[in-house]
Amino acid sequence: MGNKGDYSVIKTTINTNSSAQIKTKRYFSESFKESFVGYLYVSPFFILFGIFGLFPILFSFYLGFQKWNGLNEMEFVGLNNYKLIYSDPVFWKAIYNTIIIGFLGCFPILVFSIILAFILNSAFVRLKSIFRVSLFMPYVTSTVAVAIVFGVIFSNMEFGIANLTFSWFGFEPIKWQVGEWAVKIAIACMVLWRWVGYNVIIFIAGLQSIPIELYEAATIDGATTRQQLFYITVPLLKPVIIFTVFLSTVGSLQLFTEPLIFLGRNAREEGITAVLYLWREAFNNMAFGTASAAAVTLFFIIIIVSFINYLITNRISS
Amino acid sequence: MKGKISIIFFMFVLSLLLVACSDSDETGGESSSGGDGNSEEKVTLDFWVFGQFGFDGLVEKYNEENPNVEVNLQLQESEDMHNNLFTSLSAGSGAPDISMIEIAYIPQFREAQDHFYNLYDYGADDVKNNFLDWAWKNAESPEGDYMIALPTDIGPTAMYYRTDIFEEAGLPSNPDEVAELISTWDDYVEVARTIKSETGTNITDSPELLFNAVRDQAPEQYFNEDNELIIETSPYVKEAYDFATGLIQEGLVGQNELWTPEWGNAMSEGTSATLLAASWMVGRVKENAPDAAGNWAITTLPEGAGNWGGSFISIPKQSEYPEEAYEFISWLTSPEQLLEAFNVAGIFPSTPGVYEDEDFLSKSDEYFSGTKTASVFADAAQKVEPVFIGKDTPIVHNELVTALINVASADGDPEEEWNNAVERIKDQLARN
Amino acid sequence: MHSGGKGFTFSKLFIYIILIAGSVISLFPFYWMFVIATNHTSAINKVPPAILPGKELVTNFQNVLAKIDFFGAMLNSLIISSLVTIGVLFICSLAGFAFAKLNFRGKEFLFIFILVTMMIPPQLGLIPQYYIITQLGWLNELKAVVVPGLIDAFGIFWMRQYVKGSVPDELLEAAKIDGCSYFRIYWNIVCPVILPAFATLAIIRFMYVWNDFLWPLVVLRDTTSHTIQIAIRTLVDNYVQDYGMILSGTFWATVPLILVFLIFNRFFIESLTQGAIKS
Repeated sequence: MGNKGDYSVIKTTINTNSSAQIKTKRYFSESFKESFVGYLYVSPFFILFGIFGLFPILFSFYLGFQKWNGLNEMEFVGLNNYKLIYSDPVFWKAIYNTIIIGFLGCFPILVFSIILAFILNSAFVRLKSIFRVSLFMPYVTSTVAVAIVFGVIFSNMEFGIANLTFSWFGFEPIKWQVGEWAVKIAIACMVLWRWVGYNVIIFIAGLQSIPIELYEAATIDGATTRQQLFYITVPLLKPVIIFTVFLSTVGSLQLFTEPLIFLGRNAREEGITAVLYLWREAFNNMAFGTASAAAVTLFFIIIIVSFINYLITNRISS
Repeated sequence: MKGKISIIFFMFVLSLLLVACSDSDETGGESSSGGDGNSEEKVTLDFWVFGQFGFDGLVEKYNEENPNVEVNLQLQESEDMHNNLFTSLSAGSGAPDISMIEIAYIPQFREAQDHFYNLYDYGADDVKNNFLDWAWKNAESPEGDYMIALPTDIGPTAMYYRTDIFEEAGLPSNPDEVAELISTWDDYVEVARTIKSETGTNITDSPELLFNAVRDQAPEQYFNEDNELIIETSPYVKEAYDFATGLIQEGLVGQNELWTPEWGNAMSEGTSATLLAASWMVGRVKENAPDAAGNWAITTLPEGAGNWGGSFISIPKQSEYPEEAYEFISWLTSPEQLLEAFNVAGIFPSTPGVYEDEDFLSKSDEYFSGTKTASVFADAAQKVEPVFIGKDTPIVHNELVTALINVASADGDPEEEWNNAVERIKDQLARN
Repeated sequence: MHSGGKGFTFSKLFIYIILIAGSVISLFPFYWMFVIATNHTSAINKVPPAILPGKELVTNFQNVLAKIDFFGAMLNSLIISSLVTIGVLFICSLAGFAFAKLNFRGKEFLFIFILVTMMIPPQLGLIPQYYIITQLGWLNELKAVVVPGLIDAFGIFWMRQYVKGSVPDELLEAAKIDGCSYFRIYWNIVCPVILPAFATLAIIRFMYVWNDFLWPLVVLRDTTSHTIQIAIRTLVDNYVQDYGMILSGTFWATVPLILVFLIFNRFFIESLTQGAIKS
């Protein structure tokens, strides 16, 4: 890596270059240039988004006021779509399920992944790459295989793996596919399984920005591993933790793949999530108007929840 | 100065990306664009299919015999293909010249008939008599003046049963005798009770298929021709539901959901005595239970037959060559070609002319204890009654299946579940 | 952790048990895919499921090769995933750097706007997005997947957070006063420090694009333009399901991802030692 040399060059040139006159003269153009570069560097996102992302969003807002089955003429219906979904108990059930499954899934994910990342970033563990890649595999394993394996684990039958394990401890078999809480727990387990490794990788990257000397110094001062975790790791990881909390919040409010895999096309009320609801409206029931109304509503719910979440995370970690 | 360099670098990377993409897709773009230049008038017809229909060889033959036409067969997964067709029609471009449509999607597209050529304008009247009446009616407007697609294959239903379990229960196991033994649904219940008490085995393991089998024999289904929900006034669907839930509550039906591993496992383990399914299930049973050869046989359903599955072939309005396309599809759906497709891929032809073919009728299957499968299903195909299937059928069906599952797996009360399902159905129907 | 540096301790054993258990649970469905890929289809229905590999490894994969252009589709996937990954790394790190370290008016607003775009449920955008692609005439062309794939709010957010947490302001100030161009600051100072962030984003993005089929299957209909995921989906027949074959294709399509992971994984280790030298 050749940058170490550059860095020292920069350091030495600072002294030679600091004439006050030049500084004030360049000040205005410097800040102008900085703004210009700033806009330039962020522009690709906005250009691409302007081309591919903006129209679909405006279209969704527009569709929220139309009755449309995707093929025939649209019909303007005012706020009727919103009325229909707000008076639908299943819609509120879906929002409720989403939040419950979100809580059941997110907390364990964050806790497990920070701990696992801490372990996998520490010096003494051998075979790090093998453990990392193993933990990450759920993110890339085909959903076909996942659906079948989880179907067998959380089968209603007595010989399902979960029920079999329970029976060793003397519990009654549970109806995983139809029980109010059983469905949610099964889906949350699936979420946990799929996303821990993903978050571990993010946290490992975050941990590597923490200078190793801090740990060494703490060890010399006699700090225990737990103290190191709470007084060095967690505070210094704050930007990354805010990042993962935000992502988990948005991700769990948009939860879709896992319940779809687990429930199949028959999105049952016990496990239907908000996005599954709007997906069913659009592509099963051909009601794009109400689907869009649900999407717009969900969008605002996500904004509100994310904002509240941001405030809480910020307060806790500072 | 240095800002400029960064801009240039930046533009360079972006354009590199764009160039790299456009280079790599040369191969992708070309084949669908048609006119290769060697013969000026050559017409390329994109033809979307969603499974193994045995059309590959036929398309090749057609291309050879018609040098001015090049049919370009494109295979996609079923759901993907129908979604793509839907998206293309909805957005107004990208649809193929010819597209297969599975029967479950037909009502939805029939409702948007303007997106397809009316095949009556191209001579569909002349071939109408080649096909089973009920199959034809599926793709025709209720008024009978607009035809969006020609039938290819159908899925007449029959009763698959385990000879070993029937024998163990002291019942006859030969197809003709079983057909006689179970000639009504009441007989079916009697046999179910006998088998349960003699062997402890369930009569069938899918509440959904039991419900479907009875429902499909009725002259009406969920909707009337004005697309109004009739399940509360028409008795048939409720009867089918009551019949299914009655058997469930007696503890005679398993509770596997279709296509799950448990359901497939049940086929080879013989944990249920019958399977009420369509002609194409032959392949599924063999795949799922290769060890159960000789333990299965097939006979006719009590009180008639139904249809489950099948496909049609349509010409979307976006095609520029409806005449050439029609010529091809009417050739492809002629009895001779469909018989050929049956021999290659086992799809069951919708043209009763084929059913008189000696070779066809004598086709027997050792796996199914020597049952003359083609003949059983040909019989069934001719017994199916035409039924109007509304565009919102999936909504109704999904909710009724949920109700059945609730009764089977969650000890739901049948009446209560039925009423709740009807509520949910009405709620959803108000929206599209 | 460092306290238990030498020899065998109880807590070390405990940690290894956790890691091994976690790995086994994570890998099981993947391993099971291999089991089915080497068995006859009926093995999928065994209850409890089959757990030992069978003898059909070659047969199943030959069936896959007979039905789809497996390697052609792999190549398409490789092209798309690589281009998207390279593009995303570049675009997102630049934008992340700008958001974290440069001052310009409306920065906060623009950043929040990017976050808000992540909150839009994407499922309903298919039809209008498809419409845009047809208007551009990109149907059946790989760029229909690559170019929209470069929009990555997640990546920008990630890079911003990482640059914020790991690049000291003093370093940048020094370089600025020295008259270094912003691009040189980005290239020579920021990039080397954020290698772990690059590795993370590359892994996540590459694998996401490789496995994605929802969007590609809408715009890539022609067989020659199919990505591996779409090609594998065409193995699913309407009437007969040969799971042995389907999961064989799926399994071999996932294996290259392990290599990709291990390649990028190297950046983690390197940067750890480098961080130590730096500070």
